[in-house]
Amino acid sequence: MEKAKIGAYQFFVLLLLFELGSAVLVPIAIGANRDAWIAILISTVGGVLLFFVYYRLYKFYPQLTPTEYMEKLLGKFFGKILAFAYILFFVYISARVLRDFGEMLLSFAYVDTPLFIVNTLFILVIIYALQKGIEVIARTGELFFNLLYLLAVIGFILIISSGLIDLNQLKPYLEQGWTTVFNVVVTETLYVPFGEAFVLSVILPYIKDTKKIKYAGIAGIVLSGINLSLVMAINISVLGIDLATRSQFPLLTTVQSIQIAEFLERLDVFFMVSMVIGIFFKASIYFYAAVSGTTILFKFKEPSKLVYPIGLVILFMSITIANSYSEHLKEGLDLTTRFLHPFFLVLAPVFLLAIAYVKNRKRKKK
Amino acid sequence: MPSFFKRRQITKQKMKQKKEEQTKQKIGDYGTTPLPSSLKEKIDFIKSETGNSFDVIIRKADLDEKLGIETAVVYIDGISNTQIINDFLIHSIIKNRELHRKQPNKDIFEIVREEVVALGDVKVLPNWKEVFQMLMAGETVVLIDGETRALGASTRGGEQRSIEEPGSQVTVRGPRDGFTESIGTNIALIRRRIQNPNLWVEVMKVGRVTKTDVSIMYINGIAKEEIVAEVRERLNRIEIDSILESGYIEELIEDESYTTFPTLYYTERPDMVAGNLLEGRVAILVNGTPFVLIAPTVFIQFFQSVEDYYGRAFLATSLRFLRVLIFFISIIAPASYIAGTTFHQEMIPTQLLIAIAAQRETVPFPAFIEALIMEVSFEILREAGVRMPRAVGSAISIVGALVIGQAAVQAGIVSPAMVIIVAITAIANFATPSFAVAISARIIRFLFMIAAATFGFYGIILGLVVLAIHLTSLRSFGVPYVTPLAPMIPKDLGDTVFRLPLWSLKTRPALISSEQSQTRVGGDQHPKPDSSKKMVPKKQKGEQE
Repeated sequence: MEKAKIGAYQFFVLLLLFELGSAVLVPIAIGANRDAWIAILISTVGGVLLFFVYYRLYKFYPQLTPTEYMEKLLGKFFGKILAFAYILFFVYISARVLRDFGEMLLSFAYVDTPLFIVNTLFILVIIYALQKGIEVIARTGELFFNLLYLLAVIGFILIISSGLIDLNQLKPYLEQGWTTVFNVVVTETLYVPFGEAFVLSVILPYIKDTKKIKYAGIAGIVLSGINLSLVMAINISVLGIDLATRSQFPLLTTVQSIQIAEFLERLDVFFMVSMVIGIFFKASIYFYAAVSGTTILFKFKEPSKLVYPIGLVILFMSITIANSYSEHLKEGLDLTTRFLHPFFLVLAPVFLLAIAYVKNRKRKKK
Repeated sequence: MPSFFKRRQITKQKMKQKKEEQTKQKIGDYGTTPLPSSLKEKIDFIKSETGNSFDVIIRKADLDEKLGIETAVVYIDGISNTQIINDFLIHSIIKNRELHRKQPNKDIFEIVREEVVALGDVKVLPNWKEVFQMLMAGETVVLIDGETRALGASTRGGEQRSIEEPGSQVTVRGPRDGFTESIGTNIALIRRRIQNPNLWVEVMKVGRVTKTDVSIMYINGIAKEEIVAEVRERLNRIEIDSILESGYIEELIEDESYTTFPTLYYTERPDMVAGNLLEGRVAILVNGTPFVLIAPTVFIQFFQSVEDYYGRAFLATSLRFLRVLIFFISIIAPASYIAGTTFHQEMIPTQLLIAIAAQRETVPFPAFIEALIMEVSFEILREAGVRMPRAVGSAISIVGALVIGQAAVQAGIVSPAMVIIVAITAIANFATPSFAVAISARIIRFLFMIAAATFGFYGIILGLVVLAIHLTSLRSFGVPYVTPLAPMIPKDLGDTVFRLPLWSLKTRPALISSEQSQTRVGGDQHPKPDSSKKMVPKKQKGEQE
């Protein structure tokens, strides 16, 4: 663990940026069709509940990172195995996020540029940030949080003023009934992005004002849920459900449809800025979690030196993980959201929490 | 035995070298060698040490002819006030001859100190080190025959530049005085503004050879003690032969060398320094330069001007927004042009795109080369304008305007749009209130141009991310550089890019000033014109109607 101190507000900002990260760009909960926004709102509630699980775990061991308390809870052998599995998971997801980003960028702006170059540049920036430590990432987050919301407000005003929103596109509500919505919630949106908040428990021990963590966390998850739901509702009401389902990046399509005074058109830059910022924080926090886990598990003294090899692994993994974008997406749906996410983000933490309860009850009795 | 001699010669040479090295180290460092009692020896030593320099004046005067007690007044011409020396030292010694005969119990040294030297600040100098220190600073040393101590009287003076309006940081409204090269004057200028005994000044000598006066100024109770201690410690750590400008100090005490951004603020304006002292900052004054350093510095300071506080709040706020915009323009305007024309034509509105494309039809270079040519030639022009004698200035502007502006466009080497971009960038760069940040924006601009030429807007955005990471990673005396934006300190946000009315800026910057005293504005100072409305009697109003 490095010597760092983070404020509750910084945690809130990081959590928010992390949750919005890639989720705001891609069509999430689109399985629920017009009711995607309802599904997101419901999973926000689930996200808050999940956050309480992570928060309780943190409460049991406020000084320790997940890697450390896993050893305490499961014993040295199993704890280390689980911690190592988590490191692999973090690296893998970080690579996936990077791949997502690269494919996105290539598909709408840099058709002829090799994926490798785009990803290399991005990982270099992330490595630079991680070199500077978590405090700097948190402060950068604060800066970009303002920028992101400024862009969002401007974009929102532009969309409204260009008269694109047709709320009738959202009707009829609950066309396919509650079951479809809940199905989407349980299989998809509960984990990504809300369950991913578990990754941030890596930085929980750094936070100074421990009393505010709870509120910062809830605020972050609720606000990100509302934002995501709003974005999805706007996407559908602007594009219509057909286009929104088919579009790879509905937000981009929405932004591109802005046309005002024959001058403000094709505001792809807005999308690109929010994409780079969002993905940057998502990938770097996963990356940071991997680095922090490795440092503690293998008792490294200088975490900043670990950044290079792990960064290299993530970079190459992001290229070799799949041969094409469709393969990458299929892998994501079949492997990641079906097995990895439920296990690492929900089952394992809940299991750990159960053990922690039992262990601490024993201790109290003694 | 020639070899034997050779060896001896070598050892002799080595000895000589060693001696030379020793004397080199000893330049200006006499340790605590005491003074000899004989006046002649003392004068000879001073003469030999100063190499019989022409400006070292030694005036002998008899104190008692019969007893043969002589004194000598030593000073350096030009840096001391000759009139004071004549009136209050030499004249006084001659007038008070044989004074000691009336007070036989008293020591001659004491008599001279107490009664003959008619000046305010008189010091006893026990050794050569202090004698030379005083002498070289422009003070006068009085040597007395038979005494192993000397007297030092403060007679600093000599020619100085008078107080003028500062050349940098010009304001429309605000005081017109600027710092000078004399540290004494500068301290006085600040003290005149803050008439409070808690304004503390610490003096130290820095520089092995130059022995430059460097002083720390802060308001006790408002400045954070840890920061003052840190400044003091960093200054004490300096070991260099010369300090010729505050830039030397800046480079030796700053937190991060490998950055284009200044982590110490410098200013020529006493009101600026006073304002910063009142916010809890520490000023570092260096003798010989009108530029005073201020620590700790945050990034947002470079977008603020003293005039913001003298004018109306709304204007100040909008000007600050303008300056932030200016900063971004001067960084990314050419880069965006490159990115737009090379990579993202679809993002430019069609008509504008056609106009630009038509202009660029004859241009033989890609946009990056075009921009690079223009930017570099502008930088050359600018450098020429700064360094050339004033008389040649008009020639440069003609050459610049004609050759670079008109001829290059007519020849089809660059497009008019590019000239416009370069001109806007240049003006934006000049409009940045702080020269230090304008310079760093100049350098960064080229990096952004390269990024844009290779990766378009993606490159620019990544560049901005790196810039943000870099800025947030900087610290100035332990204070994060982008405070109060990141880490966000809500109560300090009133005086950042915003400048709220003075009555609402209730506290001093949290991370910079001392925790004990953070209140700046007491109580509710919001002007309440309600009470003054009553001053106009209602009857009169009715009568007028």
